[in-house]
Amino acid sequence: MADSERVVSAVRKFLSRHRKDETVELDTSLFADGIGLDSLETAELSVLLEDELGRDPFSEGADVESVADIVEFYDEGKSPA
Amino acid sequence: MIELLAAAAGERPDDTAVVSPFGRRSYGELARAADAVATDLLRRGVRRIGVLEPDPALVLAVLAASSRIGVEACVYPLAATPEAVDDLCARFGHELLLTSRTGHAAPSADPAEVVATEPGELPDAPPSSRPLLVMTTGTSGYPRGVRHEWDRVLRVAQRIKPAPHQRWLLAYGLNQFGGLQVLIHVLASHAQLVAAESFQPRDALAAMRRWGVTHASGTPTFWRFVLKEARADGGPLPPLEQVTLGGEAVPGPLLDQLRRTFPDANLSQIYGATEFGQNVTVRDGRPGLPASMLARGGDVELKVVDGELWVRSRASMLGYHDDTSVDPDSWRATGDLVEVVGDRVEFRGRRTDVINVGGVKVHPLPVEERASAVPGVALARAYGRTSALTGSVVALELVLEQGYDAEAVEDAIRDACADLPPAARPRGFAFLDALQTTGNKLSRGQPA
Repeated sequence: MADSERVVSAVRKFLSRHRKDETVELDTSLFADGIGLDSLETAELSVLLEDELGRDPFSEGADVESVADIVEFYDEGKSPA
Repeated sequence: MIELLAAAAGERPDDTAVVSPFGRRSYGELARAADAVATDLLRRGVRRIGVLEPDPALVLAVLAASSRIGVEACVYPLAATPEAVDDLCARFGHELLLTSRTGHAAPSADPAEVVATEPGELPDAPPSSRPLLVMTTGTSGYPRGVRHEWDRVLRVAQRIKPAPHQRWLLAYGLNQFGGLQVLIHVLASHAQLVAAESFQPRDALAAMRRWGVTHASGTPTFWRFVLKEARADGGPLPPLEQVTLGGEAVPGPLLDQLRRTFPDANLSQIYGATEFGQNVTVRDGRPGLPASMLARGGDVELKVVDGELWVRSRASMLGYHDDTSVDPDSWRATGDLVEVVGDRVEFRGRRTDVINVGGVKVHPLPVEERASAVPGVALARAYGRTSALTGSVVALELVLEQGYDAEAVEDAIRDACADLPPAARPRGFAFLDALQTTGNKLSRGQPA
């Protein structure tokens, strides 16, 4: 699975657990009018990403606003092919 | 201690006092063994000794002997490494280590050889002081030495009447306060002590079946695993008349499971600790303590200060080793966080276990209780998992029963925790084969 798919799939898994709308696009905002995460839900997403993908953008101080930002974080973390 | 042993030996010298993988010993044999040890200790002129010995009959003889002549004995945990034993010996100033193990820095003697020596003349008068040193189990750090007086520790024995048919399981190490309590109960009731191959619940269950154990006292963690083992192997249940829990907060769902599994047994919870002695027994089968205990006087008094339970007890310690003595009859904070709900004092966890989630203080026990009650969960432990966003979040480590799906169980736990405040809901789930325990209590703090 490509990284962006793994990220989106992890986010979908998180959303389904919280019985939120699972339609996630890359430009979906995590906060406010987007998914609308509060601080505890964001902390939980950070734990889930760390468990599923080995590291997580929130703990490493990345500026994360949207699903695309998460995908970008894992893309940047990869060594060049 | 020596008086309890002498009384039992006087009335029934040929009855078995201890049955263990090391064999049987009668009350008569133990009384003679205690005299032999007392004679030897007097001859050596030692005042403070350590005992590191797997045979509970020998430990019992050493403890009775030390109380006979006022020598301060301290039982070491069997799991201690040689380095830890040397360290404890030096820290507690032990002049002699009674052990069959060799290679220790301190002078040592083999207890099996000492009990086989000829008892000599012992002083008639009881010693003016009968000290005892008990180590804390150290679920939260290095063990401390807690100073007790036998006369205070034995107050509990005054209410016990002989019941020689009883067979008591030893489910605690004799270095633990819980193990000491079992010894005292066995001696005071002229009963039989049954020791298994190890303190592991599987071995304990086998010993309970083999020897027809009627009375067993263990931690909630111990009982959870005994139930799990019994269900898994489908074998017969031991003929328990008494099931006692202590040493950790007792969750309601576990009490229900025990009541269903052993419908004829009395179910009781003891509330005590190495520092303030065994204090309260609750027999109504409900979690927590009756709130009416808060107003009661007598040998044990309880009060709640800022959400923490305080105790003033006639069985409490005199102080820590190498520390200024405390007033043994003063109020002491227990470290147990409680909340009075209706007619009940409910336990919320240890003060040191509180999880700080974004400034909200969360107690792990209510989370563990909800998770433990979910079908398929064999064991649950809540802890604070570090989070860059909120400091910590509540996370769960779980052991599943066979045949259950982790995702389905996780969903069920989320539903079961939905009534908790958002900060207290579990945010991380890890499914493991086993959880780490110390002295049959769940280890606290961050997972290793």
